[in-house]
Formats: sequence, C-alpha cells, structure tokens
Amino acid sequence: MKKSLLFSGGAGLAIAALALAMPRAEAPAQAAEPVALVADSAYPERPLFGDTHLHTTNSFDAFGAGNRLSPNEALRFARGEEVMSSSGIPAKLSRPLDFLVIADHSDAIGVTTDLYNTPEADLADPVLKRWRNMLHGDRKEAYSVTREIIASFQSGNIPKDLIRPDRVAAMTRRIWDAQIESVERYNEPGKFTALHGFEFSLAIKGNSLHRNVIFRDGADKARTVLPFPSNGNKGPEPLWDFMEAYEKASGGQLLAIPHNPNLSNGVMFAMTGPDGGPMSAEQARRRAAREPLVEVTQFKGDSESHPYLSRNDEFADYGDAGWENGNAPLSATKSPEMFGGEYAREALKRGLLIEQRTGANPYAFGMIGSTDTHTGLATADEDNFFGKFSNDEPNPDRMNTIVNPGIAQSRIGHQYLAGGLAAVWAKANTREAIFDAMMRREVYATTGPRMSVRLFAGWNFTSSAFSGNWVKTAYAKGVPMGGNLAAGKGVPSFIVQALKDPMGANLDRVQIVKGWIDAKGHTHEKIYDIVWSAPKTRKLVKGRLTPVGDTVDLTTATYTNSIGAPELRTVWRDPDYKKGQRAFYYARVLEIPTPRWVAYDAVRFKVQPPAGAKLKDQERAYTSPIWVGAK
Amino acid sequence: MSLRLKWRAALKEPLVHFLLAGLALFVFFAWRGDAVDPESRTITITEQQVERLAANWAQTWQRPPTQQEIDGLIRDFIKEEIYYREGLRLGLDQDDTIIRRRIRSKMEFLTSSELENATPSDAVLQAMLDKNPQAYAADARYSFDQIYLTAEDADAAALRAKQILGALGKGADWQNQGDAISLPRSPNDVDRARIAADFGEDFAAALAGIKPGPWSGPVASGFGLHLVRIRAVQASAKPSLKDVRQRLENDWRAQTVKVREAKAYQALLDSYTIRIAQP
Repeated sequence: MKKSLLFSGGAGLAIAALALAMPRAEAPAQAAEPVALVADSAYPERPLFGDTHLHTTNSFDAFGAGNRLSPNEALRFARGEEVMSSSGIPAKLSRPLDFLVIADHSDAIGVTTDLYNTPEADLADPVLKRWRNMLHGDRKEAYSVTREIIASFQSGNIPKDLIRPDRVAAMTRRIWDAQIESVERYNEPGKFTALHGFEFSLAIKGNSLHRNVIFRDGADKARTVLPFPSNGNKGPEPLWDFMEAYEKASGGQLLAIPHNPNLSNGVMFAMTGPDGGPMSAEQARRRAAREPLVEVTQFKGDSESHPYLSRNDEFADYGDAGWENGNAPLSATKSPEMFGGEYAREALKRGLLIEQRTGANPYAFGMIGSTDTHTGLATADEDNFFGKFSNDEPNPDRMNTIVNPGIAQSRIGHQYLAGGLAAVWAKANTREAIFDAMMRREVYATTGPRMSVRLFAGWNFTSSAFSGNWVKTAYAKGVPMGGNLAAGKGVPSFIVQALKDPMGANLDRVQIVKGWIDAKGHTHEKIYDIVWSAPKTRKLVKGRLTPVGDTVDLTTATYTNSIGAPELRTVWRDPDYKKGQRAFYYARVLEIPTPRWVAYDAVRFKVQPPAGAKLKDQERAYTSPIWVGAK
Repeated sequence: MSLRLKWRAALKEPLVHFLLAGLALFVFFAWRGDAVDPESRTITITEQQVERLAANWAQTWQRPPTQQEIDGLIRDFIKEEIYYREGLRLGLDQDDTIIRRRIRSKMEFLTSSELENATPSDAVLQAMLDKNPQAYAADARYSFDQIYLTAEDADAAALRAKQILGALGKGADWQNQGDAISLPRSPNDVDRARIAADFGEDFAAALAGIKPGPWSGPVASGFGLHLVRIRAVQASAKPSLKDVRQRLENDWRAQTVKVREAKAYQALLDSYTIRIAQP
C-alpha cells in the first residue's frame, strides 16, 4: 500500500479494490479543492485500458488536416462524454477509457495554427505563403499540404521562418501551460487518469525515431519544462539528457516510448551506438532505463512481427501491408536487411545478442498499443474508426486516401489500422500506479479489443495452478509479464489466462512466442499454440492448428461468437528448454476473424472497397515478455 | 500573438466597424458577383442554394437529407453568411482572398477565447448540480453472486439455467454450479462502471432490474449466461458540490463555450431578416 496516508491498517484487499477516494492530507499548491487520493491494491486486479498517443489541434499536422479539437475536448471524449468532431459529426465512445496521454508533437507545436492565422501579406517566404493558402483551401488541399509539411519536417527542409526559436518558444509555453491546465482538470484519480506528455518526433532523413514521453508527475513539476523538441538532433540521446535533467531538478520521473519502428528503415533497433560502432554496455543500459516500452501497434501499422523475419509464423503479417514499403514519408524505400531493426520480436532477439556481447540488454522492452490519432478522438475499435487525420473522419472516400501523395509506393487509406490500446496492470487508476506499471513493463498491447490477459512465469507451476485465489499465488510464486524470472530448478512454466473483451469477439487461440540465443551466439524463435477453442475438433497437424473458422458477413459487416471461446487459459511448460538458456517468452492472443473498419465503411457508405483492401482480420493482444536465464 | 491582440483592439472600437463596412461589403460583393444591395441585412436563400446544400450532403451520406437535416444545413449556411458579412464589416478581409471560412472561425474564437481562465461561482455550480443531480451522482454499487454458464449452444444453456435455478430453489449449493471462468463469482460493493467494464454494459444494465435477495436470471453478458443473486445494492447517492466540483466546472466550461458562442451569434442573427424559399 504505497499511498495510504489517512488510510490506516485493516483496510484489506477488498476495500482497496474499491479504489476508495480519501481526502488528501495536504492540499496541493494549485488546486482550490482537495484532490482525492486513491490507495493501491496489493497486486493489480484488472487491466486499465488507455491511449498513450493522442494528438489535438495543437499538433502542427493535426491542425493542418483540419483538427480543431483542444485537449479539453480530447479528454472529455476519452472520459465518455459526447463531443463534436472537427468535421461536425457528434462522437461518443460506447465505453470510456481508463486513462489518456495527450502527446502533441513538441516540434513546431501550434505553428500551423499560427501560419493559418498570419495574414498573407506578412509572409515573405514563398513556400510559407503557398502553404498558408493551401491550409485555407478545401479538405484535400489542406491535407496535401500537411503531408508536404510533414515530409519537409522529416527530411529537415522545413522553412526556417516557421520554426524561428523565439516565436516557437513563446508559442510552446502558451500551449503547454494551457494543456497542463486541461490535463489537471480532467484527471480524477480512481476514475480516469490524465497524464502529461508530449511526442518527440525525431526523424533522420525520413527514418522515424519517434518517442512519446510521459510524466509521472503533476502540473507543478511538468510546468518546470517545455516539451523537448527533436529538431536538429541526431539521435534520442539528447532526449535522455533532457529526461535526466528534469528528474534531477524536479524530483519527478519520465519515461519514453518509441513508436512506429516499422517506419524507421532499420534504425530504431540498431545493433550500433550513436557513433556507428558496436553498442556499448553503457549505451545499452541507458536505453533500457529510459525506454521500458515500445508501442507496437497503432494506426500506422503493426510492428510486432514481419513475415520476412518470421517465416514460420502464419500470423506475422498483421498490419504490415503498405507500411513496410519504406520510411515514414517514403523518401527512401525499404530493403530486406532493414526489417531486423524494425520489428519488435527481432529487436527482442537483438537485445539478447547485444547482452551476450556487452552484458547489458538495450531492447528488454514491454509492449503496448495506442492510436496515434490526430483527430483528438481516441477511437481504437474497428466499428468506430475516426481516421488518422481529421480529413479522414468517416467519409466514403477515405479508404482510397493517398497517404503519401506523389509517391508511387504510397500507402493507401485502407491500410491504416483502426488503432490499438495500452493495457496496464496497475494497482490503482492513478498517474503514479500507471507509470510504475509501465516502468516494470506489466503491460500489454491490444489492436483495439479490451481482452484481459495474464501471464506469469515460474519454475513450479503445474496444471493445478488455477485454484483458489490463483492470481495472488501466481504473484507470490512467479513473476508477471515484463519481469525477469530468476534462475531456478526445472523447466520454466507459464500461467496464461486470456478473457475475451466482454463487448467483443471470442478468442481463437493463445500462443507463446519464444526467442532465445544459443551458445554460438545465434538467435532463434519458435511459436507454440498452447490453448485454443474447440480442442475436440481442432488439432495440431505438422505444427499447424486447424483454423478457427470465419463467421464474418461482409454484406452486413457483422460476425457471430458461434466459434471461438470466451476464455482460454492453461499452464504451459517449455518442452524445448535447455538448462541455462537465455530466452524471452510472450503471449500472443488471437481473436476469431472480425470485420475491419474498411468493411464497416463499405456497408455504411454503400461503397465498393478497392481491390486488395483487407476486409477482415484476427485482432490480437501481445503481452510484454518475461525473460528467463539472466546471468 | 500580436495578431489576436490586433483583432481584439479592433473589436473594442465600434468606429472601425463602420469605417470598414462599406469597403468590406464592396469587396465581398465584387468577389461574389452578387446583386444584393450591400447595405442590406437581408439574407435570401434561394431554392437552388437549398438544392445544392442537399446535394452536397447526399453525396457524402449516400441518402437524401431529412427535412430536419436540410433545416440544419440552412441554419449553418445562414450562420456562415452572417459571420462572413460581420467579419467583413470588421475589415477582416484585408490582405486576403481566402477568407470566408476563416472569418467564421475567428468570430467563433473571439466569443469563446476568454473562457479558459474564468471560474464559475459555487452558486452557479450548485444550480447546475441541482438541475441534473443524476449526471453527477456516484455509481450505484452492487454486491452479488453469479453463476456462469457457457452459451455456445444457446438453447441448451437456457435449459441448464432453468434446471439450476430449480435446484437452487431446493437448497442446492450454488458454489458447485455452472462453468469455470475467470470472472469474480461474488463481487463485493463494486460500482456499476466496473461491472460494465468486467461483464459488459448489457449485464450492468440488467442488474438494475433485479430484486435483491433471490436467485434470478439468466442474464446475458458478453461471455454467456449468468444466474445472479444480488446481496446488496447501494443506490447512487445525491452528490455534494464538494465531491463533484471539478466535474461541474469542466462541464460548465464546455457548455459555456457553446452558450456564449450561441448567444453571440443570436445577437447578430436577430439584426438580420432571413428569407428562405424551399423547393
């Protein structure tokens, strides 16, 4: 019980579980009323679902594409209130989120708004003049210029006038202070957590090295800094310097979450350090300490696995199409040797390689999903996709949007995913508890559905593990997802439990993805189907499980839960474990096939999806790994 | 932003409206090629304009708009027209050719930009709370037992539910009934929001209709069927201002932005004569 204060002994689990609000002993400096304080439970009792990656009108590209929703409206929407979208559609989540991080681009924050508001005559630069006029144009024009601004930003050709330091500093301060104010107003410990954050959108020659930065702290500390810009930096190290300086000066805490490694052309998970030489132990330790998580699934594709890297994984291609064509603006196409530095599973293996050489693992990360929405609306379901940008809010043409105008290999609108969520096993719905769960990697990614997934590793779990208060026992005798299983006797065993989204689709199967390194320094992976629905009729044949079936009706964009299972759980022992082996294990949970957002759009707008558009898929969850065999 | 200050200063100076109005209206009508008297505060919506609004709408939504929707489109069009003209009276079109949408959003911005730092009084918030206490009430809290039944075969599950209910009526031990699932069997004093998150919205809604005491059901959830026995309910209590002040203030701010915008618009609208000819 971390934060009991007035909460005295005898308050057992049951009471803690109520997330009982207690008055705070001393009022915070800024608030007029005492803020409720929420006690931590003894162990995490339910996953909290949230979005760590939301853009409001303050992001330069979001505004450019038509977003007019402020942090206030984004927070109201995430809490379940109805808001009017930028394109004039009333929008309300059927289920509120548990938490939200507003992560506007720190670079050029507010500049498109400012450019839009500047009289034409005041602009000298012909590029800015043209951009400004296009921002005032129709939806397509404004979107196309926004892509151009992103591309110019990503390739370092942004007009200097637009990011003049004095102008940007004043604007950033004004916007950051207003955002902090909003986030404080909507943060309600125990009910809904609003976290301070920003996106550090570093790109090197178009190769995406973006990070979302999250504060554990409140307004008093967050106000002491400004969102740290990426422009002019050559790597993430200056961000880590910023984080260290902030923590030292304020006593607060920050973490950074890389996203879209799939758009980095192989540089996100490099084997090398910033100087181009082999990564050192010190560099590896620093990265792991600053970046405990990776956002592996969001609108712009899924970065868990790629078929090029995982030839024996029949489900490796989820959310890869289009995004795999090159870096973020497609200023450079992809060659196969780049994939290894881009997809999380391979990065986890690279981590073992670097660890074997240096003794430190830079890529010992947990996994979350989020949206990266630029509409201010945190929508993560297939049936409520509000589009990456406001110009792609529900309309019949958005499945055909040319994402990278003027480029032959452009991604097409239908290749956007409907977004993911971050599931966090926190001990309370508070900033502190959520942040701490992220730091210990007790989190998982979902591609939108709110399935509940538990994973524990231990040396002594048997099939009788699911009796009594098994969760409590599992915490006592093992480690949860994100943990390191200390050396022990026998075979690593895993308790895996997956409960379907109560409002969603049944489950097809649970898999364990194992990666390991052998004595010769080669890495390997293997996927085990460990529990599945209808086990009487579905069998493993030559390592392949009979498919679960498919109930999707594309004429109505519906499915039925007549196949699959509401819950899958088992205890699994690694049959191939070799004593002393260094390995990681994570669970992948697959739902039965359901319609993609494109299929919902096709029915709602009575349009024919373009050839090649994927209309259904199996949504999924990826847990953070558990590492076994640390020296 | 110096620009915003400029607009504000201009707004505070009524003379500016009149000085610029003539020139502005001239520019406006020259650009529009419209024959209406520029001094007029009359807006005439023609049949063709209504048809065009409806056609644009239908192109997006793949069905013709309802009368209500047409009225909404017309209202919006009028609003745009009025803000546009008023903006021109303020001279907002200087230096610019692409102004129409811009002027509307700027007029809207001016009416709401002062709100971020405004703080409503307790009396205002108390009145809001008294008007709609249910919206701010804490969730109802339930203590209940539930027996889960898989529902792969819906008919069989319903039959089993009936049989188990019968057995429970004859004193059978409820703990031995039903199928295994990792859902709490005896949630204790749990609020409705959490029940909805764990069992689904339909299940949470169904609890409100169940009398505490006996076993009842089956109640459907996203997982299957449940027999439910409510042990205790704590109805949602009327909240005090102190408990929900921040939420009230947030809602007040969001509503007031809309109200002020609407009032500002209404004041302008009132000075216009509107004529609409519908096809």
